[in-house]
Amino acid sequence: MTTLVINDLHVRIDDESGHKEILKGVNLTMKTGEIHAIMGPNGTGKSTLSETIMGNPRYQVTSGDILLDGQSLLDQPVDARARAGLFLAMQYPAEIMGVTNAEFMRAAINARRPDDDPISVRDFIKELDQNLALLDMNEAMAERYLNQGFSGGEKKRNEILQLLMIKPAFAILDEIDSGLDIDAMKVVAKGVNSMRGDNFGSLIITHYQRLLDYIEPDVVHVMMGGRIVKSGDAQLAKKLEAEGYTGLRDELGLDIKLTDEN
Amino acid sequence: MSKTKTFCELSDLQHYSQQLQEPAVAWQMRQQAWQATMTAPNPSFAKINYRPWANLQGQLTVASQAVPLPASTAQIAQVAGQPVQVRLSTEAQTAGVEVLDLVAAWQQWPDLMQQYFGQVMPWTSQQLAATHYATVNSGVVIRVPANTKLQAPLTWDFYQNGTGRQLNSQHVLLIAGADSEFSILENRRTLGSDQPSASIVEELVLLAGAKVRFAAIDQLSLPTYLARYARLATNARLDWALGIMNDGDVLADFNTDLNGQGSQSEVKAVAISTGRQNQGITTRITNYGQHTKANILQHGVILSDATLIFNGIGHIVKGARGSDSQQENRVLMLSRTARGDANPILLIDENDVRAGHAASVGRVNQEQMYYLMSRGLSKDLAERLVIRGFLGSVLSEIPAAEARQILTDTIERKLIDGQRHRDRAQ
Ligand SMILES: Nc1ncnc2c1ncn2[C@@H]1O[C@H](COP(=O)(O)OP(=O)(O)OP(=O)(O)O)[C@@H](O)[C@H]1O
Ligand SMILES: [Mg+2]
Repeated sequence: MTTLVINDLHVRIDDESGHKEILKGVNLTMKTGEIHAIMGPNGTGKSTLSETIMGNPRYQVTSGDILLDGQSLLDQPVDARARAGLFLAMQYPAEIMGVTNAEFMRAAINARRPDDDPISVRDFIKELDQNLALLDMNEAMAERYLNQGFSGGEKKRNEILQLLMIKPAFAILDEIDSGLDIDAMKVVAKGVNSMRGDNFGSLIITHYQRLLDYIEPDVVHVMMGGRIVKSGDAQLAKKLEAEGYTGLRDELGLDIKLTDEN
Repeated sequence: MSKTKTFCELSDLQHYSQQLQEPAVAWQMRQQAWQATMTAPNPSFAKINYRPWANLQGQLTVASQAVPLPASTAQIAQVAGQPVQVRLSTEAQTAGVEVLDLVAAWQQWPDLMQQYFGQVMPWTSQQLAATHYATVNSGVVIRVPANTKLQAPLTWDFYQNGTGRQLNSQHVLLIAGADSEFSILENRRTLGSDQPSASIVEELVLLAGAKVRFAAIDQLSLPTYLARYARLATNARLDWALGIMNDGDVLADFNTDLNGQGSQSEVKAVAISTGRQNQGITTRITNYGQHTKANILQHGVILSDATLIFNGIGHIVKGARGSDSQQENRVLMLSRTARGDANPILLIDENDVRAGHAASVGRVNQEQMYYLMSRGLSKDLAERLVIRGFLGSVLSEIPAAEARQILTDTIERKLIDGQRHRDRAQ
């Protein structure tokens, strides 16, 4: 079992307009075998949390820690964190010319293996074909340049394909359901569920209860104003769907402005 | 023992020419070229300082001892300053392809030499060219007969000689007969490192309707003036695919003249500069004939403290109606201390034409790096993949699969070397 602990995490972003504290003390503990969901209003820091866990250099940790099995990840660059077992399905995956999808995934798998023991072409192709089939993806997708010209939905599916090929210990899925039609959402859920087991944990960020109907979470967290303000079981998501964030905020007596309020 | 000096003494040149038993015309050319080195202007390449290449030195003597030719499977092979070695394929022999050493060509093909040697490059126009024609001490002349169609490429391996005192001034002259069709795969490398500089000039003459694909992989380590000049007759077509993978400071002067009506040329070049290397690449296509088509596509990558300048020059002269001149020059800088420029120059003296250009100087896209690294790829590997994508848009356009593969492998090796160098320095 692997454990990921987020400890009183404060994160700042520096841009032209100056510094802005976005995460204001996030606490979260996840174990492999568990699926966690995070919901929360727009602009509340969910993507910031996922990017910071992964190690995006644009986000500055000002205090707190991120620990994988007790080891701090803060001084590790993104590639080392990935090899240590983290995976982030991004809200906006990059497009890369000249590098095929298949070639990229093979490089990612080999990055986790000793230099003198790369995955055999045959094993790789076998696994790739299985996963393409599982995700209803055309084989041609593997030979296209990485995300180049992919539709929004194809990109999301491709993130899950990478997840299945790389088999990380923890996968953070940032709005993997956004822009997906209902069938595609089911396919993506099927992919994630196929990973479920004692050696896999996931943190699923979503705005919609619907995804959680297909991937049932063990724990649901609500994030507002840069903090996790409430955690509960799958029922919490249903309640939110029914009542919205304003209700929860007022119930908790929080002084937070939600973006859709005037 | 003769003392090492520059070619400068005219009497040395005369002595050398006599030793080679060159005909009077050849000697007159040397003499004129020698005079031009005093009077001709410095070469002018925008934003490139030509001086590092202006110092051609070494002895001009007839080679007494042969430098062993590295194992080469090429049909034509030569170490600068030495005789050429020719082993044409059966296909090329049957087709009537003929190859002579430059010295022999002056004796056996005097008319052809007078007609073409020094006719493509204006050799008294600037000092580096004049220096070459004064000192040329080795070379090869290739004739491909009219209507010849070759399936397999003609392969050429040329070596600069940095192992001794001999001056390096090598010349290639190719005459592609009317309606001939073939491809060339050229490799250039360096032996040793004992010479301060070298000079290479290639002249390509394409007669009417000739179609030539010229792929070259340059891996030179001496400071070199490397000129490739071509002249196209009516409806001829020349496609260049150039991998500028040198380790030394190279001044590349690529020039194509679209003389004949309907002739066309495309230059696809990829270049890498690493370490403290300085490369300046000027690629010019001039549309003289009507309905001629020019396209220049150059992508380059710069690591560490290196410099890489691309000049693309598209020139449409008055009267070249219905012509087209396009170009794209891009460089990618991988370090803060890299210096690069992509400089498109369009000179249009005719109204009824089409012309366009694109240029950029940029850095590796950090979003792309982050994405690749977030899957566990090391920074160096991620960087190589992004670069491969950047160069790939030129590479994928190179028609010859063999040349493409060699070039891809060379790029990979060069990038790994460059990164290792950088990572050690950090
Ligand atoms: N790179 C950045 N530059 C400037 N501001 C940023 C950057 N990234 C995030 N922010 C700001 O930080 C805040 C939190 O953004 P974040 O993307 O984490 O929100 P989110 O909870 O994921 O929202 P959504 O549900 O809309 O995806 C926002 O106000 C956002 O504008
Ligand atoms: Mg977000």
